[in-house]
Amino acid sequence: MDRAIVVDRLVKNFEVTEKEKGLRGSIKSIFSPKKKVVHALRGISFTIQPGELVGFIGPNGAGKTTTLKTLSGLLYPSSGFVQVLEYDPWEKKPEFLKQISLVMGQKNQLWWDLPAIETFELNREIYEIPRRDYEKNLEELVTLLDVGKLLKTQVRRLSLGQRMRMELVAALLHGPKVLFLDEPTIGLDLIGQQKIRDFIYEYNYKKNATIILTSHNMDDLTNLARRVIVIGAGRILFDGALEELTDRFAKEKIIKISLSKEIDIKEVEEIGTVKYVSFPEVTLSVPRSTVAVAAAEILQNFPVNDLTIEEVPVEEIIKKVFRGELNK
Amino acid sequence: MKKYLQIFKLSFQQEFAYRLNFVMWRVRNILQIILTFFLWSSVFKNPETSVFGYNQEKILTYVFGILILRAIVFSARAVDVAGEISNGDITNFLLKPISYFKYWATRDTASKVLNLSFSVVEITILFVILRPHLFLQTNLLILFAVFVFLILAVILFFCLLFITNMSAFWMPENGWAAQFLFIAIITDFLSGGVFPLDILPYTFQKVLYSTPFPYLLFFPLQVYLGKIAGLEIIRGLVTSFAWVFILFMSVRFIWAKGLKRYSAEGR
Repeated sequence: MDRAIVVDRLVKNFEVTEKEKGLRGSIKSIFSPKKKVVHALRGISFTIQPGELVGFIGPNGAGKTTTLKTLSGLLYPSSGFVQVLEYDPWEKKPEFLKQISLVMGQKNQLWWDLPAIETFELNREIYEIPRRDYEKNLEELVTLLDVGKLLKTQVRRLSLGQRMRMELVAALLHGPKVLFLDEPTIGLDLIGQQKIRDFIYEYNYKKNATIILTSHNMDDLTNLARRVIVIGAGRILFDGALEELTDRFAKEKIIKISLSKEIDIKEVEEIGTVKYVSFPEVTLSVPRSTVAVAAAEILQNFPVNDLTIEEVPVEEIIKKVFRGELNK
Repeated sequence: MKKYLQIFKLSFQQEFAYRLNFVMWRVRNILQIILTFFLWSSVFKNPETSVFGYNQEKILTYVFGILILRAIVFSARAVDVAGEISNGDITNFLLKPISYFKYWATRDTASKVLNLSFSVVEITILFVILRPHLFLQTNLLILFAVFVFLILAVILFFCLLFITNMSAFWMPENGWAAQFLFIAIITDFLSGGVFPLDILPYTFQKVLYSTPFPYLLFFPLQVYLGKIAGLEIIRGLVTSFAWVFILFMSVRFIWAKGLKRYSAEGR
């Protein structure tokens, strides 16, 4: 098998009922509900190789979660073709379900009133994991995620971060080959985030697992994803290496200069947009096409000690992606 | 099969997690029994009184019978299905190699076993204290027929409950209302939970017998009381089986339709 995931011209539409505000609106919608079709995915295509770790990014409502849900068999595609591990996810064959896992940062599968270990035991039965594999996986996951002492605590008494790590254990006990992670670090503190990130990295590396990750957390993406797929308004805007995102979308370059004498900053503003001033350092951004001319002009007209030309940091581009400012 | 055994065990633990709730639930049951007992005992003060063919002994047996049957047939956890659909929790099950029906059937069974075992203890104690005149059926063949009808009733109610709950696929907000109206009021009424159905007009009864409702409570109890026998039992059996088949197919059909509509909301 050379492709773990194949998606071809996938379309997903939802029919939603709209309600006008207030009591009158509510009553009105009982008698004449206003139906509206939402085009969540407008024909997306991509393939993912086994062992790849891909980041899905895009503004809210772009279709990231819809894609993950379709890939894990929850949603029925309106049209198009979807294949995961050579199965049609919608059929929900047990052999398929035993090889995947979908972790959603805000959804839990743990039994709220019972200790987490009870859910784990249940999952062992549901996924028919042999006792020896189960013990081994549990030991490994519990150590990696550092939750050994909490196994017998009622889930309701765990903190959000502890619970999220338990959720990961529950989702991974059966050793899925394909993992869909939807905002796995949402709501966690920095240390909690780091723990989860390290873990995802390890899991991907050690098990050669295929992972798709959506996140609004910059560090998740820059630390984990080598390849990113940018989705906006139900379409794919970019698919490639994280670094290429800059080449593709950065319309500007960054010039950093170090001055030897104080100058009137207004004069520099004629050359490019000043981003940052703290004498002797000045940072400005200029259009890509004119960067050489701008640099020459600066060197000629100002007392410059040092000058470097840099790419816009990838974080800046990703921020733009989240704000929905990228277009094809 | 072992996965469902595990779910059975967890369901028990889950019920006991809220101890106070559990105790209150039992207290309510006991109170309900005592209240109905005194109500009907005073209505039929004179043991000779007979209304619609029910004397004190028979009516008391009827109300107690209904209480026990309700505990068996109507006690179900699957009322939570609508909630799981509308808040998206059902997602957890769709992602796993497990049957959602069998999952709920297991949880229902756990609930029934728990409810029944406590009911038996409570009723025995109350029986000793109140010493009511109840009708005890001794014919083993009839008792066996009652058992068969009881199993059918449980399946019928499970299907009805599931169908009602699956309306949440189309109307996620209305799950509770549909449930209350359909299960708590209509079903209880039409199945003889409120009063014996044979006091209703004859034509109405006839129509009712071709619906699944009387077979939930009334019919099994009538068989127990010896009021229905012979050919009528066979007819009831055939009707029940037919409804089990029809409802089971409907559940599967609606489930398949509903899943396609499902949008895994709430995330």
